[in-house]
Amino acid sequence: MLQATNLRKTYLLGRTKVPVLRGVDLSIQEGESIAVLGASGSGKSTLLHLLGGLDSVDKVGADVAAPSIMFRGQDLTKISTGKLDEYRRRRVGFVFQFYHLLPELTVLQNVTLAAMTALGAFEYFRTRSAVRAHARELLERIGLSHRITHRPAELSGGERQRVAIARALINKPDLLLADEPTGNLDRVTGASILDLFTSLHKAGQSMVIVTHDETTAARSDRIVHLVDGRVQAG
Amino acid sequence: MNFGAKRANPATLIPHVYQLLLTKRYLTSKIMPLLAALAVALCTAMVIVVWSVMGGFLVMLINSGRTLAGDVSISWPITGFAYYEDLIKRLEADPEVAAAAPMIETYGLIGLPDGRTETVQIKGIDGPSFSKVTSYDEILYWRPIDKPNEKDTTRQDLRLGKHDLWKQLFDGGKRLVRTEVSKVDGKAVERPAVVPGISVSGFNFREPWGFYPGLPYIRTTEGDKKPVDMFMLPVDGTVTLNVLPMDSKGRAIEMVARTFPVANEFHSGLYEIDHKTVFVQLKALQDMLKMNRAAKIDTSGGGVKLSKNPNEEAFLPPTIVSEDPARVTNVLVRSKRDSFDMADAERLAERVSKIYGEFAAAHAGKVPESTSIRILTWVDQNRTMITAVKKETALVLFIFCFVSLTAVFLVLAIFWAMVSEKTRDIGVLRAVGASRSGVAGLWLLYGLAIGIVGAAFGFALAYVVVTNINEIHEWMGRLGERLSALTGTQINLFIWDPRVYYFTKIPSDLDPTHVIIVLCGGLLASCLGALWPAARAARMNPVQALRFE
Repeated sequence: MLQATNLRKTYLLGRTKVPVLRGVDLSIQEGESIAVLGASGSGKSTLLHLLGGLDSVDKVGADVAAPSIMFRGQDLTKISTGKLDEYRRRRVGFVFQFYHLLPELTVLQNVTLAAMTALGAFEYFRTRSAVRAHARELLERIGLSHRITHRPAELSGGERQRVAIARALINKPDLLLADEPTGNLDRVTGASILDLFTSLHKAGQSMVIVTHDETTAARSDRIVHLVDGRVQAG
Repeated sequence: MNFGAKRANPATLIPHVYQLLLTKRYLTSKIMPLLAALAVALCTAMVIVVWSVMGGFLVMLINSGRTLAGDVSISWPITGFAYYEDLIKRLEADPEVAAAAPMIETYGLIGLPDGRTETVQIKGIDGPSFSKVTSYDEILYWRPIDKPNEKDTTRQDLRLGKHDLWKQLFDGGKRLVRTEVSKVDGKAVERPAVVPGISVSGFNFREPWGFYPGLPYIRTTEGDKKPVDMFMLPVDGTVTLNVLPMDSKGRAIEMVARTFPVANEFHSGLYEIDHKTVFVQLKALQDMLKMNRAAKIDTSGGGVKLSKNPNEEAFLPPTIVSEDPARVTNVLVRSKRDSFDMADAERLAERVSKIYGEFAAAHAGKVPESTSIRILTWVDQNRTMITAVKKETALVLFIFCFVSLTAVFLVLAIFWAMVSEKTRDIGVLRAVGASRSGVAGLWLLYGLAIGIVGAAFGFALAYVVVTNINEIHEWMGRLGERLSALTGTQINLFIWDPRVYYFTKIPSDLDPTHVIIVLCGGLLASCLGALWPAARAARMNPVQALRFE
């Protein structure tokens, strides 16, 4: 489904260039669950952002193989920003460590937010009942159907992360990208979230989970170790 | 491959649902945007109020100017033109013309009871016909009134009592006559009289409550005033008019002076008119200016031929060969239409021009040609004043609009802070697929919403202020008086002093077109203020935005 080759990313820290990714190759198959395991600062989140089209790869010289992220035959590093926005809208769903729910919106509105960006106003109003029914179904699946009118501030950490997962799934993405999804939760709550990911995976959802926790990583089909911006062999 | 079969067009002008939803939420959940809306509201209200008051002032001036000018004036100054009765008959036969009236306009000197002599514009009119083309009846000051004006809470206006006297003065004023008892036979006789503007005599001092006390005062050299003996110009005052008649070729003959009783005084509301204009009976002025009907005697052979009756010592009167008709300098025309704008005035002027052409053809060689005669609308006659006030209005508006630019910067500052506060939300929106233009659109829509709320409140505030401006002004004045009493320092908050501005009430005219322009300006200012923060939000790197703390 997705083939990433020679991904490089350097950040500027003041005037100093800090290489975060130094040529990462990664392939993701349909329905596969991959855990990217690595220490803090190893480039896990940056890799996830590149795969999700949130960030762009470094330009390289002619002497180095050009980086590419091939998604269903199209190179994300070469498409327009408009198409990249479309890719984020429809093909991927993000789950962040700190949930990143919009505090002014209710649970239901947060979940349907991604659908709102994917559809024009007329199209959204035409399909609104279907979208909301789908959101309610997702919230039912994650056990939050009784919280749809609540604001994020009224939810626990675990509940917020569930809402964030529902938001990521609203547009039925091909690929779910989770950045330390249990990093901000206690062990029991974290385990319940991982159970949710496992059930999603079993239902056929492809996903990449970034984590520094080996127990979390162990639940995936495959573990990719990232050390100093490179995938470690073995 | 395409990433979506039904791709939303980010460039569309129709907002996305998330933009509408977040705009609504941001608007109702924060204090800061309400402050921005308040700034827009105050600026919008300020400009609407200023424009309404200035516009009202202009409308009032125009109406006052029109009061004594009719709608269209046919004029041939100084020497005047003859056969005006025929012209009036022709004009009044036109379906667009309500009435026409003759007038003589000249300049002269007025000798006042206190010995002063002033230069004035003298208008000879026939009261009843002049009233048909102007609002002459309505501007006569001394008349019976039943209700005092709003500011005269203690009913000090003299006109509220002595109804018989005021009725008599009003009637005399309308016809420009004063009834006096003859010293010879004791019978009541009507004498031709004058009606000067209320400020011509210098005896009338306008009181803060907007009327004239009637009892005269004289100013002392210290600028103060003190009462003099009971005397009232329209009751027992006389003035002397001095005019310079011209012959039909425009040559001065010799100064003519005549004393007239004062029948009444008028108050048009325009100081320039009320201070420098005197109405006098048309016939009397025609006599003074030698513009009356006159017999023409035989002067062939180089002089007046006198012959003697063979049976008597006395000479026979000279032979009358023809008669010179009476002349006037103006004929004023009034339209039949009630609402009458500048375009209507132009149209009426064209009709009048055509009628004059026919009249001139009928009296060829005896009246000015249609190409030479001046036919002016009331707008033309008051153009200088109207233009001056319009320019003043434009200048004041420009200054206030410039001041209102602060709203743009206030919105900008508040939005800048809000974009910073919402940085992570912007990252989230980008992560779920919102485009850069979508994020910019959100903030612009938000700016527009602030503008709509602000403009709506601004209009409401302006409406309340404009419709109650005189009450607010009164309240401020009283507040100033209380503060003066408390502090012992003179604090005058009566900005609109009728002694200065001549109108007892602050004028206002809430023009819907002006309101729409100002409201659109408010919306534009709000959007302009949101523009830079919106661009900043759109340029944000989503990864950095998500990491923002």
